[in-house]
Amino acid sequence: MEFKYIGKSLTRPDAVGKVTGKAIFLDDIYLPEMLHASVLRPEYAHARIVEIDTRAAQREPGVVKVVTGADCDLRYGDNIKDLTPMAKDKVRHIGEPVAAVIADTPQHAKAAMQKIEVTYQPLPVYTDARDAMADDAVLIHEQNGEYWTLPTLNPIAGTNIANYYHLTKGRAEAGFEEADVIVEGEFLYPFGSCAALEPHGAIVWFKEDNTIEVWSTSICPFIIREDLAHAYGIPVADVRVHIPELGGCFGYKSDITVEQTVAYIANFVPGRPVKWVASRQEDFTSTLIGHGIRTRMKLGARHDGTFVALKTKVYHATGAYADTGVNVTIGATHNSTGPYEFPHCDLEGYCVYTNTPPVGAFRGYGHQETQFAIERLIEILARKLGASPFEVREKNYLTAGKVNALGERMWESNGDIIQCAEKVKRAVFTHQKPKEDQAYYYGRGFAALMKSPKGAPFSTKGCYIKLNIDGSASINMGGAEVGQGLRTVVQQIAAEALQIPPEKIRVYPEIDTQYCPYEWQTIGSMFTIQGGRAIIRAANKVIRTLKQTAAQVLRCDVDMLDYDGEHVYLRSDPAVRVPITRLVRGYMYENGMTIGELAHSVSDARLPRYSDPDPETGQGNMGVTYTFGAQACELRIEKKTGKIIIDHFASSFDVGKVINPQQIRGQVVGGVLMAIGATLYEKLDFDAEGRLRNPQYFQYHIPTLKDIPGKQTVEFVETPSAIGPFGARGLGEHPVIGVAPAILNAIYDAVGIDYYDIPITPERLKQDIEAQAADAADKGAA
Amino acid sequence: MAEYIAFTVNGTERTVAARPARFLLDILRDELHLTGAKRGCDNGTCGTCVVVLDGRAVKSCIIPVEKLDGTTVLTIEGLSDGKMLHPIQQALIEAGAVQCGFCIPGIAMELYALFETELDATEDRIRRALNRHLCRCTGYEAIWEGALLAQQQMKSKVEKRGGHK
Repeated sequence: MEFKYIGKSLTRPDAVGKVTGKAIFLDDIYLPEMLHASVLRPEYAHARIVEIDTRAAQREPGVVKVVTGADCDLRYGDNIKDLTPMAKDKVRHIGEPVAAVIADTPQHAKAAMQKIEVTYQPLPVYTDARDAMADDAVLIHEQNGEYWTLPTLNPIAGTNIANYYHLTKGRAEAGFEEADVIVEGEFLYPFGSCAALEPHGAIVWFKEDNTIEVWSTSICPFIIREDLAHAYGIPVADVRVHIPELGGCFGYKSDITVEQTVAYIANFVPGRPVKWVASRQEDFTSTLIGHGIRTRMKLGARHDGTFVALKTKVYHATGAYADTGVNVTIGATHNSTGPYEFPHCDLEGYCVYTNTPPVGAFRGYGHQETQFAIERLIEILARKLGASPFEVREKNYLTAGKVNALGERMWESNGDIIQCAEKVKRAVFTHQKPKEDQAYYYGRGFAALMKSPKGAPFSTKGCYIKLNIDGSASINMGGAEVGQGLRTVVQQIAAEALQIPPEKIRVYPEIDTQYCPYEWQTIGSMFTIQGGRAIIRAANKVIRTLKQTAAQVLRCDVDMLDYDGEHVYLRSDPAVRVPITRLVRGYMYENGMTIGELAHSVSDARLPRYSDPDPETGQGNMGVTYTFGAQACELRIEKKTGKIIIDHFASSFDVGKVINPQQIRGQVVGGVLMAIGATLYEKLDFDAEGRLRNPQYFQYHIPTLKDIPGKQTVEFVETPSAIGPFGARGLGEHPVIGVAPAILNAIYDAVGIDYYDIPITPERLKQDIEAQAADAADKGAA
Repeated sequence: MAEYIAFTVNGTERTVAARPARFLLDILRDELHLTGAKRGCDNGTCGTCVVVLDGRAVKSCIIPVEKLDGTTVLTIEGLSDGKMLHPIQQALIEAGAVQCGFCIPGIAMELYALFETELDATEDRIRRALNRHLCRCTGYEAIWEGALLAQQQMKSKVEKRGGHK
């Protein structure tokens, strides 16, 4: 198929607004009579609140109101209603809202907030899932098991286990009887922060007409709308949520994060909008964090390298509230197989309450955490078998005809992982590796990967198309542009589907639940697939409307007509035609009589046959569409310092169809660097008391220009998908998945040290290399 | 200390109160409603608030109000003329350096301060300037290419005008 507008590097429609500083982000919004809130955070990560004294704060200049959670009984959440907007009797993590001040300026609010005095009675603190699972552990939620949950969830009352997910395939653990070789290990992907440059924030305004208007840094406006309507007992239609420009997301601006807290505060000053924007520290401690996943994994194989059985236990420190983390645990569990077939699987996921900020979506959504384990374990297995790790993988890839852990059969249209692997192998492994020299050790490593959207049965994305009198088109969708280039993709797909050039297509820039078509939430690398399909369906509808009007004008049957973006014409005689500019508002005859319908349409699209897991086996159509890929790197380790220098990083994904080459490279290059950060230095460092030691950018280092790989190779395979628009698949999250194992496999290649957790800092690596040398010397002496 | 501070912002004389103590970014955003400079960390780390102060790129979130008297400030709002983009802005767009766009105003002003004073800046010098900025989206590749492209375009503009200024 020839494409006119797909596959070209169109310039993003929002670039000019952003580069001139005119794009409006949340904190750029000023409303009349707006007040500002500042929120008090606790001194302890787990404690009973004995008393809150707000008297001194109330006397401070500019203060309008001081708010506590004393009368707060509201529980909310999309999966588990365990969240509360403000602590009432106890605090469960160090970033929790304890009290708030509403004042005329942010400075006054903050100054007064510091005058609030709270007496706490400290409780034991758990920052690790397994400590919180101990028999004698104090309960973080006494009500665990009583909260409303989605019917598919399984909290264990009387414990800190917020959900237990168990997936079995084949003979489950008994399948290990068929194995000749077994390898096992325990792996840790520690807490991290998405750390977008724009912090979270919200403005909430309870109005005199009993409606609520909200502006938020969220990618889930429709979820916020329904949740607030439910909480305040008003119709969903009476909550209006706006999403301005978003300064990055990477996961943690999905779900409900700060909005219910700001709404709770704003409800004390009805009639006036209240703005709250996170400080950088609060963005780390009081929104959502990522990962915190410990994986115990056991892999059984035959002598020839064929995989037989996999056992995974995921211990997920999901934090003080499990609503946003529970699906991360489930995703981490059923995707722990990586892109391989196992006849027998026994996969368990424990989503465990801990006294850390709640875990939520982080680009990759559970996949990098457990595929890190399998990609390391395969290397260890290959060594034990004396086989090539590439050949071991090739024997087991989830290629056409294979069945994954969930019971979903793979077809050719699911993509070609072998080609992806070949591309990165060619980029990294076909030339000689430099020999160790005075200054450096050299290593190369590889990892394969796969990702499903991790969606929900009811997820869908709507599209509204309006054709204008000059033949231009307006496209309105509820998908959040977080920087990934969604608007460009919409413009290109709409251009292709409507056959109207992109310069005549305008994508609405702002999301507003009052006029945007419904969208579940812009998550899971799903927008191109679902949103793109919604555009095509809406375009087909609007073209049908044009043809119906034209059929009356040209006095023929609709199916005799064709459309080319400018005209509707008779297929048998293209000279018989009507320009669409005369059809979009109905066709008007010379005497003014008008017939036909307005040329606009609405449609939506979801993943086909997505389903909940089976209660017995945990299996089900929970992936539906997969993107496969492979990544590899070449690195150097500086002997003097232990510093890792990535000279070359290569990635390849079967994306089905590249929509915009410049943007897709940007996604991959950026995603790879983000995961290099996680592998080499990013880690939220909680002490034993649950206090975060590094809640600032100068302490939690994210990569800078000086940290980028010497070179990034990015190549794509285009096996058309049977679902996505023009064969396209999702890609946003995938570049982070194989990075840590590729680097750790390369470290082993360089110095022969196996790592099971990240980050690998220079100090750590240098120390381990020295210990290894001392060990070898001891053995030599003996 | 004087009661008022007078300084020039994007070509216009502005007067602000010297008290309460606050920083240039607070004045730009909260008082003058020039919101192009962003607040990303509030402690001089991330670079989203960079503006040009007397020809130098500064992190405006750590410049105290009392340092501003008699100075000249250029913000992202003053970089283009409302119709034509500055070559730096054009180059960043062309290179694909704009994703979420939160870091871009600061980066554009950093490059402006650098190339206005040092159009022949070496790659090492450009790298050091950009290293003052965090970006979580792009992996810096396109920002780097955009910076080189901007330099090249500014150079050819100067050459067309006939030599250096």
